[in-house]
Amino acid sequence: MKMMRGIALPLAFFAAVMVAWQYGAGWAHIPPQLLPPPSAVLRTIADMHPLLLQHTLPTALGFVASFALASVLGFVLGAALTASWQLRQAIYPHIVLFQLTPKIAVAPLFIIWLGVGLLSTVTLAVFLSFFPVLIGTVSGLTGTDPSSLRLCRSLTATPWQTFRYVRLPYALPHIFDGLKIAATMSITGLILGEFVAAQAGLGYVVLFASSLGETRLLLAAVAFLCLMGLALYGLVAGLQRLAMSVLHEQSLPL
Amino acid sequence: MSTPPDTALQPRQRTVAIILPLVSAGLLLVFWQAVVNGTRIPEAILPGPLVVIAELLASLPQLLAEARVTVLDSLIAFAVATMVGVALATCFTFSATLRDAVHPNLVIVQLIPKIAFAPLFVVWLGVDAPSRVAFATFLSFFPVALSTATGLAATDINALQLCRSLGASRWQTFAAVRVPFALGHFFAGLKIATTLVFIGVVVGEFISSNAGLGHYVILASASGATAKIFAGLIALSLCGLALYGTVAGAERLLLRWWWE
Repeated sequence: MKMMRGIALPLAFFAAVMVAWQYGAGWAHIPPQLLPPPSAVLRTIADMHPLLLQHTLPTALGFVASFALASVLGFVLGAALTASWQLRQAIYPHIVLFQLTPKIAVAPLFIIWLGVGLLSTVTLAVFLSFFPVLIGTVSGLTGTDPSSLRLCRSLTATPWQTFRYVRLPYALPHIFDGLKIAATMSITGLILGEFVAAQAGLGYVVLFASSLGETRLLLAAVAFLCLMGLALYGLVAGLQRLAMSVLHEQSLPL
Repeated sequence: MSTPPDTALQPRQRTVAIILPLVSAGLLLVFWQAVVNGTRIPEAILPGPLVVIAELLASLPQLLAEARVTVLDSLIAFAVATMVGVALATCFTFSATLRDAVHPNLVIVQLIPKIAFAPLFVVWLGVDAPSRVAFATFLSFFPVALSTATGLAATDINALQLCRSLGASRWQTFAAVRVPFALGHFFAGLKIATTLVFIGVVVGEFISSNAGLGHYVILASASGATAKIFAGLIALSLCGLALYGTVAGAERLLLRWWWE
């Protein structure tokens, strides 16, 4: 009963918003150029899906490249920072401080350095999404339960064994928190990159449609981006479950 | 997840923890200047720190004027997002049905790349400040609403039972118990919002505007004035950090005052 309520109520609310949008816009005489009803957006998706799919490809490729790079870089550098207390004290405060600035504004620098195209959009996406992975890795790996570490020492575990069977499993939830933020940040970076420095991709379609006042196409491309974002988040959440079950099942080879 | 739990630093370690970041920042600047001097990278690609500082000082009046526009838009968006977010979260505590219907949708909206909506605000509200303020409000409202709702729902169950047995009204319970318990979460949401309002305003200034630091940076990049880009980015970062610092300071003051 509680489950049903937890699913039915949000869906009902979503449906109510859609119905209000579909009929309310016409009733309030909002011109369809400003706010086309959902049915018109769906029709545009059906009519224009070749164009939309064609522009989904560069965005999706950019995502795979940037998310993979940011995950590996963030994890490796984060793990390296946990190796030495001094190194961490020297570098980590800058990273935390840097996280608080509107980093997205560096986009024009990447255009100057790398030109207009996939290379600069991917670099911007890596730049934005790498920090959350690094911070997640550092806070996860340094947050191991001290008594577990003492146990490892008294069992004379090697540093690698301690890392593999204790530190890493403890850190995984933090690392995946970072990865989840990174999934959203990397698609955000790609979209902004495509706004300011690309001639392809869904972000480019959004900006192009807005300059023509084609709100239906704009919303259709935004819908594609939203679905993509949610799918990627779901993928990372699924990977987390997989990784947790694998690591925890084998965590103590007795 | 902002700080690693390096618990209980010794006084000497604490001094080292302050000196090391300063040393590393100094080394980075020296290295950057040395690279620029040694390799003759054109200034349009990578200006050295000295050139950037000179540019920062030379353009200070213009930077301040542009910063005024960006900061004002950001502050309005921040205030509106805070009020709407807190109002919605408050409604959640008084109606479980509303919360169950709306909250999961907010969580999903939080996961979509909301930046894609920026051009829509331009179509709706034009190229002036209202569209940027509205977009920045849209970006920063969600963390405030979600964190505040989490905080208000996380009240210690014993405290709530105590309220009930003392015959406190729902409103009294809210003001005297739920709000103080929620303050930590509320401020966590506000801190995320401080970064997001600046991102919203700057993205708006990138795609449509004729003033503000985002416009300054985009204009500098169009003319290949890389030192100006760096100067604009530094000014922008300082604005972002100042707002974050203000919120963090307000949190400390308020929490101390409340718990005393």
